[in-house]
Amino acid sequence: MASDGGAYSYSLTVFSPSGKLVQIEHALAAVAQGTTSLGIKATNGIVIATEKKSSSLLIDSSMLDKVAIICPNIGIVYSGMGPDFRVLVAKARKSAQAYWKIYGEYPPTKVLTREIATVMQEATQSGGVRPFGVSLLVAGWDITRGPTLYQVDPSGSFWAWKASAIGKNMVNAKTFLEKRYNDDISLEDAIHTALLTLKEGFEGQMTEKTIEIGVVTVPTPAELEASQVGAATGRPTPTFRILSEEEVRDYLAL
Amino acid sequence: MPQQRQFNPYSENGGTILAIAGADFAVVAGDTRQSEGYSIQTRYAPKVFRLTDKAVLAVNGFAADGNILVKTVKQRLEWYRHAHAKDMPLRAIARLIQTILYAKRFFPYYVYNILGGIEEDGTGAVYSFDPVGSYEREACRAAGAAQALVQPFLDNQIYFKNQKPKPGQSHPTHLPLDHVLSLVIDSFTSATERHIEVGDGLEIYVVLARGHSAQGLSNIPGAQEISQTDEGERVFVVRRDLKKD
Amino acid sequence: MSIMELNGGSVIAMVGKDCVAIASDLRLGNQALSISSNFQKIFPVTDRIYIGLPGLASDVATLRERFRLRVNMYTIKEERELEPETFAHLVSSTLYEKRFSPYFVEPVVAGLSKLPTSTPESPKFKPFICGTDLIGCLNFAKDFIVCGTASEKLFGVAEGLWEPDLEPEDLFETISQTLLNAVDRDAFSGWGAVVHVLTPDKVITRTLRGRMD
Repeated sequence: MASDGGAYSYSLTVFSPSGKLVQIEHALAAVAQGTTSLGIKATNGIVIATEKKSSSLLIDSSMLDKVAIICPNIGIVYSGMGPDFRVLVAKARKSAQAYWKIYGEYPPTKVLTREIATVMQEATQSGGVRPFGVSLLVAGWDITRGPTLYQVDPSGSFWAWKASAIGKNMVNAKTFLEKRYNDDISLEDAIHTALLTLKEGFEGQMTEKTIEIGVVTVPTPAELEASQVGAATGRPTPTFRILSEEEVRDYLAL
Repeated sequence: MPQQRQFNPYSENGGTILAIAGADFAVVAGDTRQSEGYSIQTRYAPKVFRLTDKAVLAVNGFAADGNILVKTVKQRLEWYRHAHAKDMPLRAIARLIQTILYAKRFFPYYVYNILGGIEEDGTGAVYSFDPVGSYEREACRAAGAAQALVQPFLDNQIYFKNQKPKPGQSHPTHLPLDHVLSLVIDSFTSATERHIEVGDGLEIYVVLARGHSAQGLSNIPGAQEISQTDEGERVFVVRRDLKKD
Repeated sequence: MSIMELNGGSVIAMVGKDCVAIASDLRLGNQALSISSNFQKIFPVTDRIYIGLPGLASDVATLRERFRLRVNMYTIKEERELEPETFAHLVSSTLYEKRFSPYFVEPVVAGLSKLPTSTPESPKFKPFICGTDLIGCLNFAKDFIVCGTASEKLFGVAEGLWEPDLEPEDLFETISQTLLNAVDRDAFSGWGAVVHVLTPDKVITRTLRGRMD
């Protein structure tokens, strides 16, 4: 018998008498051990940022990528288990391309998020698997809903946020964000707020090597009109991008 | 293993021809591209020929057969001139062409012919033939590679098919020359746009009955007069470029 | 004998000024024998999208249902209205699924697509037409799309009659004349016609009498 979950901690698909699936609770615990990530929605975009922590200073941190591009309009960041995240990124990218193959355009953020959430939910109800040990922040832009920010948890539940944080320092970070957030924050201000929030409870030095930032920008109507000519022949202009180390350094210097 | 050898005596050389009859004139036109399969053999191979001072023949289909047919018809017309000291009338030329075509009923000339010109009564006429000599007199006809593209357009614009005249009015039975010429040019530019075997150049022959002024030709640049009878019938040719792609 | 000629039928779509038109004949045949003079080949997809399906009649019925299912699933899942461009890709991918045992139908899509600058207060639309072959190769034309047994004739007449920026009533006249005169020279199409003109604020649908031979 497992020490804390009792008889219900083995089989993933069995409810405890209190109505909980304890494996999911454990997965959330794994997320809570992960480095902090956060996302803030601004009037003209979204920023997602995360702390990058190496277990040894011998590791080349440029190899470590915690913010991932799923398709030109959507990016995600995680807290929790790196390998699990990699699997989800692969599945999400494949799903986005499958959507493109059918409709000739990339999925709206909500559809992609639901797709990922479905994958994560299946891991809570299938035999022979364990839940994903990650929480995700999905940031994207689409024509119907504009810029949107979602959080997905190991249970497969997801919500839209104006600003949110996940991982080790999420409680403090959220309190910080609640104080700092207002509805008409600009993307530039949001990026600085994100850095300030990360700074709270940051272990060690915050440099371009130890944090990663992704931003969603909102295209102007003119840019949209230009990209809408006839069929989608080429690649659409990306609305999500990961900031380069130089750009991060510049933001940190301010 | 027995070997089979085969010789195919026919080929199809593309292109399109078209003729429209007016009250006292006839217009016969054809493009000048000659092709075989997807290859262009020449960008200038005439398909329209002046037979007499008031008869023009357009020949489309297998070019070799077409050339021989025109040669034969021209020879028969010359014999007629020697025997009767005058040009053969248009309706007689039409019957002659039928006889020549039907003579080869079982090894036909693989050609579609359209004859245009002025009848003895001074009216404009168009005769169209099938390869074995069936023919009828019509007001307009398209034949060749782009027949399917051009003929329904002509039905609409010449015969006013599917159009209702304004109350108390009626559709004209014959159109003026300038109008006909612009329809011919539009037909060929349209066919050139959508059919690969049509293009390069356009030759329009205009036969005017006696007393018809060349008024309608004035706004068509490059109209060139080729013959004129003592009685006043005149034959003009207009050459235009079509797209070469 | 081509399978596309078994039942016959033709469809044409044209672009106008802030409007589009789509029209078809009404014949259903069994080779040379005419069966019905009221066979619908054009179907509404949304308020702003129409699809024409010339080809094998059984596949017309099947595809109509398949598209309805996929469009309903899209609208429910995505909680948004389907745009013509997206629908065209949906048609294409549905047909390509059957690359090696195709539906014998060559769809034509006509619609008005909402511009990114469009707002609920001042909606702005762009005319959209497109055609595909029977395995879904898309053709986005700026002028007109023709399909079906009278396609060659439709090409010729449309090329001669169509001009840019036609107002709805002029577009109606142009597409009607093009269709009627083309199908009159086609043995497999005709027996009446139906025309839809899509404008930003309404859809004009008219049935035309044609030659019954």
